[in-house]
Amino acid sequence: MKNVTLLTIDALRKDALGCYGNQSGLTPFIDSIQNNCLRFTRGQSTGPYTQASFPGILTSSYYLDYGQPKGLSPRRTLISEPLKQAGIVTAAFHSNPYLCDYLGWNRGWDVFYDSMEEEVSEQIPYIKGDVINSKVASWLTSHRQRDNRPFFLWLHYMDIHEPYLPERKYVDLVDPSINLTQDEMFRLFSEVLLKRDVSDEGKVRLLRKLYDAHVREVDDYVKQFFNTLEKLGLLQDTAVIITSDHGDEFGEHGGLSHDDKMYSELLDTPLIIYDPSKDGGEVCQKLASNIDIPPTIVHLFGLKPVENFQGCYLLPLADYPEKGCFGEAIDQRSQRGGDIEKDSYFYREQDIKLIYRANLDQWEMYNLKEDPAELSNIVDRSSEAGELKEKLKPRVRRWLTK
Amino acid sequence: MAEQDKAKRCAELVEKSKEVVREAFQRFKSDELAITWTGGKDSTTTLWIIRQACLEDNIKLPRVMTIDEYDSFEEIHDFMSKWSREWKLDLEWCRNDDVIKAASGKIGAPVRVSDLNERNQAEIKRIGYEEVAFPFEAESYVGNHLMKTAVFNEFIERYAIKGIFQGLRRDEQPARAQDEYFEHRPAAYLVPEHTRIKPILHFTERDIWDNIMINRIPYCVLYEQGYRSLGAKTTSQIAAPGVPAWEQDLEHTVERAGRRQDKEQMMERLRKLGYM
Repeated sequence: MKNVTLLTIDALRKDALGCYGNQSGLTPFIDSIQNNCLRFTRGQSTGPYTQASFPGILTSSYYLDYGQPKGLSPRRTLISEPLKQAGIVTAAFHSNPYLCDYLGWNRGWDVFYDSMEEEVSEQIPYIKGDVINSKVASWLTSHRQRDNRPFFLWLHYMDIHEPYLPERKYVDLVDPSINLTQDEMFRLFSEVLLKRDVSDEGKVRLLRKLYDAHVREVDDYVKQFFNTLEKLGLLQDTAVIITSDHGDEFGEHGGLSHDDKMYSELLDTPLIIYDPSKDGGEVCQKLASNIDIPPTIVHLFGLKPVENFQGCYLLPLADYPEKGCFGEAIDQRSQRGGDIEKDSYFYREQDIKLIYRANLDQWEMYNLKEDPAELSNIVDRSSEAGELKEKLKPRVRRWLTK
Repeated sequence: MAEQDKAKRCAELVEKSKEVVREAFQRFKSDELAITWTGGKDSTTTLWIIRQACLEDNIKLPRVMTIDEYDSFEEIHDFMSKWSREWKLDLEWCRNDDVIKAASGKIGAPVRVSDLNERNQAEIKRIGYEEVAFPFEAESYVGNHLMKTAVFNEFIERYAIKGIFQGLRRDEQPARAQDEYFEHRPAAYLVPEHTRIKPILHFTERDIWDNIMINRIPYCVLYEQGYRSLGAKTTSQIAAPGVPAWEQDLEHTVERAGRRQDKEQMMERLRKLGYM
């Protein structure tokens, strides 16, 4: 493939997309391109929040692999680095402070826009997707004029991330009966979501509706971006990988937003590869991790594998192995002070998931096929538990350090 | 601005700073005062101005302290050693060896709170940190506190310092706009009472470079390589490779003030997104 785009959408739950079974019509555009897509039904994140998942997405390594420096460890290889070295033009456009240049995510990019020098409001504390798109469009336009080299473009939309304050237009598309003012929405954020208060089911449902409105909004931005590629005549030469870093919780396990939990509402991610030459959609049921994204990009450009990358390339599908998926996280509140004890891990093989919480020395195991909501812990009754524990233990710090 | 006007403006700025310095010497004795020096352009300018005032008034230059965060540039160290000798400074390199030892000197290594001495443990307790360990980094919450703030407070206590000079500027960030030349800090647990004195508060970044050039004040070679603001080695970045700091577009781009501004910007964004 000549060019590759990685389009990541912050906090997008897999089950919010129509092509993954959502019935509310929140993603008409993404659903409409499925004929040209390979869609993975069991996409897994390497962690339930940005800092834990982006090491997988952009460096094909796990969150806790290199100690816990505040910034990106120099020992990780960012996908931009080998690509730039190979003569591919690399550009990044995003607005997530956890991925800003201060923290070292700017390595290897010819163009790196992290929006950190712009003023943002309390209500919309990021640069919106349409503005990201217009920056991408002007970069693509000028790139096309002066340079015929292939490009790798990473763009990331923040719009689904809290505080959920969607525009009226999108609220109406999702549920016109909601007539909250922006102030009222903001109050839901500060008084319910920030407090992780799930006691009022009505309010939690309302938050989910506002979230859905943002999903509908982001689908428009994806469409806008594809239109730009088409207008510039780039669409037939560009593969687009669409995924999210993690989901969001709406009371499924007693919380809101995305903390350090290892359940599906946070870890299941959409993973879709748009291939312009593809005729007829394809679906892959194998487990796939976002740690596999960097090797896939390298492979799409026809470059030799990067030693430092821990994932496998997803394409061609026949080469992609059946494997288990790992992920890890640290309690976000203690993480600020660098607590190394409140770490959690998961390991999934097919439809069995094992979770370990280090500070509680507690194991959980779920059969996702029979219990997709992950409410019935079978670790004490499953004959597979012992074997799976042995597979997870080598990743757990407690056993690593001994 | 014409060279002549520039020189005139700088002379006025320096004169204003010297007034602040002289007022400090009226309030405190020389040995009750101290100067913080990082080797950066602002604190070097401050030190130069205080030294000029002391030479003119025949006063002994107060002791100078620098905080060694452990993760520092060799170029800065060399620059400070050279000018410390040249200016015959009474310079003290202060650092938290107890923490460095507990981390075996490895940046990023976990430090167990129980491995630290009593004072460091008390400092950790003071900031409400209740966990058993933290990573050894000058920029992390606990690391920053122990490697900088605690070292600073300990120095003030050890020499019974009443006033300490700092090279802060109002234009560094909006939060400093209301800063006063003399800022009194009342005593608190582990923090002795002291006054922070900021003689160059009214300088802009451009003024600093104009004044450095006009008065031939020494500066660290890293500024020639394109660094615009210096801090810990692993977190400082070249703003414009090969373009000396004073030739950069200071007026229309952001000074990465000790990377502090970036960090604060980031923290502010994270807070708005519901983190912290």
